[in-house]
Amino acid sequence: MQAKRSIWEKAVWTWLPASAREAGDSVVRNFLLHWFPAKVSRESLSWGYSFWLGTVSAMLFLILTVTGTVLMFLYVPSVERAYLSVKDLEYAVSFGWFLRGLHRISAHLMVAVVFMHMVRVFLTAAYRNGTATNQNRPLNWIVGVALLLVTLFLSFTGYLLPWDQLAYWAITVGTNIAKAAPVAGEWMRFILLGGNTIEQNTLIRFYVLHCFFLPLVVLVLFSYHMWRVRKDGGLACVDKESLGQKKEEAVPIPSKTYSLLGITSGTTVHVKTSLVDEDKHTVRSSPNLTRRLLVVTLATLAVASILTLIAHAPLEEAANPAITPNPAKAPWYFLWLQELVTITTFSIGGFTINGALIGGIIVPGILVAAAIAWPYFDKSSVRAVGVWFAMERRRQNLVFLLVVLFILVLTVVGTFLRGPYWHFYWPWEHWPEMPKKF
Amino acid sequence: MKSWFDRFKSKGESEQAKLERIKAEILAGDADAPARKTSRRSFLARLGVGATLVGLAGQALAYLRALKPNVLYEEPQKFKVGTPDQFGEGGKFLEERRLFVFKERSTFYAVSAACTHLGCTVKMQKLNQPKKVKTRQREFEEQYEFHCPCHGSKYYGDGTNYAGPAPRPLDYFKLEVSPDDGQIIVDMAQVVDQNFRLTV
Repeated sequence: MQAKRSIWEKAVWTWLPASAREAGDSVVRNFLLHWFPAKVSRESLSWGYSFWLGTVSAMLFLILTVTGTVLMFLYVPSVERAYLSVKDLEYAVSFGWFLRGLHRISAHLMVAVVFMHMVRVFLTAAYRNGTATNQNRPLNWIVGVALLLVTLFLSFTGYLLPWDQLAYWAITVGTNIAKAAPVAGEWMRFILLGGNTIEQNTLIRFYVLHCFFLPLVVLVLFSYHMWRVRKDGGLACVDKESLGQKKEEAVPIPSKTYSLLGITSGTTVHVKTSLVDEDKHTVRSSPNLTRRLLVVTLATLAVASILTLIAHAPLEEAANPAITPNPAKAPWYFLWLQELVTITTFSIGGFTINGALIGGIIVPGILVAAAIAWPYFDKSSVRAVGVWFAMERRRQNLVFLLVVLFILVLTVVGTFLRGPYWHFYWPWEHWPEMPKKF
Repeated sequence: MKSWFDRFKSKGESEQAKLERIKAEILAGDADAPARKTSRRSFLARLGVGATLVGLAGQALAYLRALKPNVLYEEPQKFKVGTPDQFGEGGKFLEERRLFVFKERSTFYAVSAACTHLGCTVKMQKLNQPKKVKTRQREFEEQYEFHCPCHGSKYYGDGTNYAGPAPRPLDYFKLEVSPDDGQIIVDMAQVVDQNFRLTV
């Protein structure tokens, strides 16, 4: 601690502490750091354990919030003006093309990254409780599944807003899949669209969902997700580290596993616990965790910005309910469902199985239900928690990866190998000329 | 002077070794050396932080610039109001433009209906009997006045304010005759003197 600090030093000392004392103080004194632990294990910070996918998702959400807020000043959610205001963004507003492009690219990246984050958590068994008290990682896994679904729905509701052909027909396909749900399907579509057809009611509903309601849900769930991570003692790889140490009578010393909550769940303050050897395994959060966070944030922004310059956001003709583009495709992350809907529709004699029900509702429903329930059926031991491809989890990891592969293959087929009338075409085959209606 | 970036410099160097180094530098006759020397590490750190800030500032500027419209969809400030023969003697109120166009024999002038206090639309009151009025500019007999419904401002027939909170007379706008079809053009972007008259 220096006696007299300049204003600049007052502003930055928490980010660059000069001593162990300052490092400990900084997570307490700085609001932006208050949700971090004072010390964090080295492996939690490693690039190779978590790939920082959760952080990248959160940073993409931040980029989306900032760009989205600016876009809200420039976009008009009315059937007459939505398309024209997006056209203006693209051609008349300074940097409008960049704002829209960055928002779109970040949205697509977020869907992909959140999914990859989920795959990482499964393969490292990070949804399993370790040895610390009061852990509830299965619950956090369920919150994560909810976050994935909300992310998909956010992207989907954003899709409609430009009110061009792509948007209009993607939503037509998507909401008709929802209609196939038993009992509540019709009602769900009616409520979602605010009527029977995609009209002004639909646009304003999707707009409010996209700009206010769903981001709020993400914010609440994300906050809880982070709080749970802290309560569960950090990343799952920490539990792996504590396994290596033998249990001993711990004197009441301030350590990561020693807390008021720890006392309440034990009998005395001398808790039988295994303490992670702090000197060997941990580093101070400030500046080690914060520095890496900054690098990940900037890398995310840089990659998204560069991709924006490469891939231009498409804008087709204005929505026209009279002309369906051929083929009419949903957003890419739903194309595996569209593919499922197609291949699960078949006729037995005069009886047709409705593919929209099997491929659009039942299969994804089973997948989500299985994801939610799985942590409670998983019998793998505590030794596998936080370990990539643990031997004892071979079988379930294989099944999980097969499901992931199945989804990816169907996505690729639906995105790249389906042409007019949803016929199959190899990339080197030309699509037939389709007559244009006027 | 100890710079804040010296924190980087002393990394991985024990207090003892640092003292030894400084002592050696002082003995070598260069007392300011530790302060003036920029290590490669601190230079690169500054470069990184600087580049980051420049990048973020660039994005922020782009976002802010996007909020300044390049294209406006407002009604143009300059518009045609019809040929002179379409006007009868006296005043004509163009409601959506909040504008009075007056014809006196072969001269025309346009008076804004926006109250100079806070912009409500003034009402044209026909007087029961003509009223003799003397303003700083002229003396005349008026048939009508302009009264504002919002805060009670009152204007004589020529637009001069005489009661209520209005700070100045109603605006007069420039008129011209369109060369292509002979219609009268009002330019609401150009405020002119009360004595302005267009003679047709």
